[in-house]
Amino acid sequence: MIRIENLSKDLGEFFLRDVSLEINDGEYFMVLGPTGAGKTILLETIAGIYRADSGRIFLDEQDITDIPPRERNIGMVYQDYTLFPFLTVEDNIGFGLKSRKVSKREIKRRVDELANLMAVFHLLHRYPGTLSGGEQQRIAIARALIMEPKVLLLDEPLSALDTQTAERLRQELKNVHSIMNTAIIHVTHSFEEAFLLGSRMAVMDKGEIVQVGTPNEVFRKPESEFAAEFLGVGNLFQGESRVDNDIASIDVGGINIVSATLKPGSVHVSIRPEDILVSTKQIVSSARNSFKGKITTIVDAGTILRIAVDIGIGIDIPFIVAITKQSFDEMNLKTGGEVYITFKASAVHVF
Amino acid sequence: MLKKLKQSKTKIITVLFSLLLASFILVLITCVVTHTTLPALISSILSEEIQFAIKLSLTTAVVSTVMCIGISIPAAYALARYDFFGKSVVNTILDAPLALPPLVAGVGLLILFGTTSFGKSLADAGLTFVFTPLGIIIAQFFVNVPFMFRILRGTFQSINPRYEHVAETLGCTEAQAFWRVTLPMSKNGLLAGSIITWSKGIGEFGAALMVAGATRMKTETLPISLYLNMSCGELNLAIAAATILIIISLISLFVFERYGGFTRVF
Repeated sequence: MIRIENLSKDLGEFFLRDVSLEINDGEYFMVLGPTGAGKTILLETIAGIYRADSGRIFLDEQDITDIPPRERNIGMVYQDYTLFPFLTVEDNIGFGLKSRKVSKREIKRRVDELANLMAVFHLLHRYPGTLSGGEQQRIAIARALIMEPKVLLLDEPLSALDTQTAERLRQELKNVHSIMNTAIIHVTHSFEEAFLLGSRMAVMDKGEIVQVGTPNEVFRKPESEFAAEFLGVGNLFQGESRVDNDIASIDVGGINIVSATLKPGSVHVSIRPEDILVSTKQIVSSARNSFKGKITTIVDAGTILRIAVDIGIGIDIPFIVAITKQSFDEMNLKTGGEVYITFKASAVHVF
Repeated sequence: MLKKLKQSKTKIITVLFSLLLASFILVLITCVVTHTTLPALISSILSEEIQFAIKLSLTTAVVSTVMCIGISIPAAYALARYDFFGKSVVNTILDAPLALPPLVAGVGLLILFGTTSFGKSLADAGLTFVFTPLGIIIAQFFVNVPFMFRILRGTFQSINPRYEHVAETLGCTEAQAFWRVTLPMSKNGLLAGSIITWSKGIGEFGAALMVAGATRMKTETLPISLYLNMSCGELNLAIAAATILIIISLISLFVFERYGGFTRVF
């Protein structure tokens, strides 16, 4: 278990302010935040690359705040792989064991093992510069895992990869986590990643932890305006998707949402509040999703208003709709008023 | 049409200038190399005096280059990686020998090692710099260390510190991370720096002349030999020394361009 107490670090451009977190053994913990939130420096301070200005870090009840990185047994993987370009893949993966003065034979055995696990065995004699981003990142993960770290820190490991590669590697991360049973702290700015990988997550902004909870809690009940904004909140559902005639119909508990993304099975669905149209009368349009509901709350956020519309049956959480102040005034909307919400099948994001 | 003509005129004139400059350099080198006959050149190169000068030049340049590497690696690393009080002043001072005329540097070295108690205590300990080959080495070191320093500083700056960070999470101390990661990644910069420092060391004249003097068969490096033999009319020996200096410069230039093209010296 890793426990962080009131950690602060100021590096000028990036900083941490009074960060407290607890990550359990074997947990997959996500840290979500925008660029410049201080996510990387949080990981680097946990790894011991930077010394904390104040606060303490405990690993399995041992205070590691002042011990150097090499004695912490915490692994680190950066977004840009940072493989050593002058070493072969084999020597890259074995680098850490060489520091520990492990015998050559044992290093070879462990490197083979990790290379198999990360599916890079066929690349062992190549140099990193000739490999694809996905391959390099898998090698970087193998290089960290060979040390059998108590905690593995991943700094946006999927951000530099194309969508397909990222999706595959995400699946592999999940598998590796279940095999190795190492606690992972994974930093990202993708809420999809956070949702799919994390058993718990923290939202970070301006060097501070804004909220901690399970992904569901955080998405359902963002505890700050920032978190709500950042998560593009509302309109996140879980459901069963059935694909029929080039259109997917997703049962999210009582109602069916139609999506242009043809992904069958158990899925998550999100619809951006800006993509939903609100009207006082039912409108005829090409949009495939239209529901009648009641306005439950209205939040004035400057030029944009966020309206929560409860469509009753089945779904226990309201749809969040964002409209401009002008259209809000024109339609004369009030809490409790009846409205129709409409959105296109192509606006339904499925993952 | 007129515009096109104008453009090509500019092209012709500028290209002419570049050709003029190139031929000036070429003519100059050819003049030196072809001044004597080939047999005379070869026998001069094989003469005892020139052989001595070649050996002295090579060894002093190698030793001063090693000294430049040894001092520049930690200094350049500090200025590339850390912030400390007075950093910009230190940076400026370390560049100063570049702008200083070598003769002035030589005078300074002569005074430091010849007249101060620091120099005297070194001489008492057996390290005499004035009018000895040691003086040549210290002169080469002083004049050339900024080249090595600047190349290495640039090289270290170009290496993302994250490589060291990762190495530290993989069981390295800071020193091991430098040794096992940063240094191998600096290979090209080190090579380029060594070549330029070494070849400039071979050609060092002014500062070495001041500190070590120009004593035949004692402190006679190739440039000193060129100077001595020119002064007393031994043209063949002078040309031999000059030819060897030209060959060394050309080879160094080639190697530098090949491996050090990415590093900025100035």
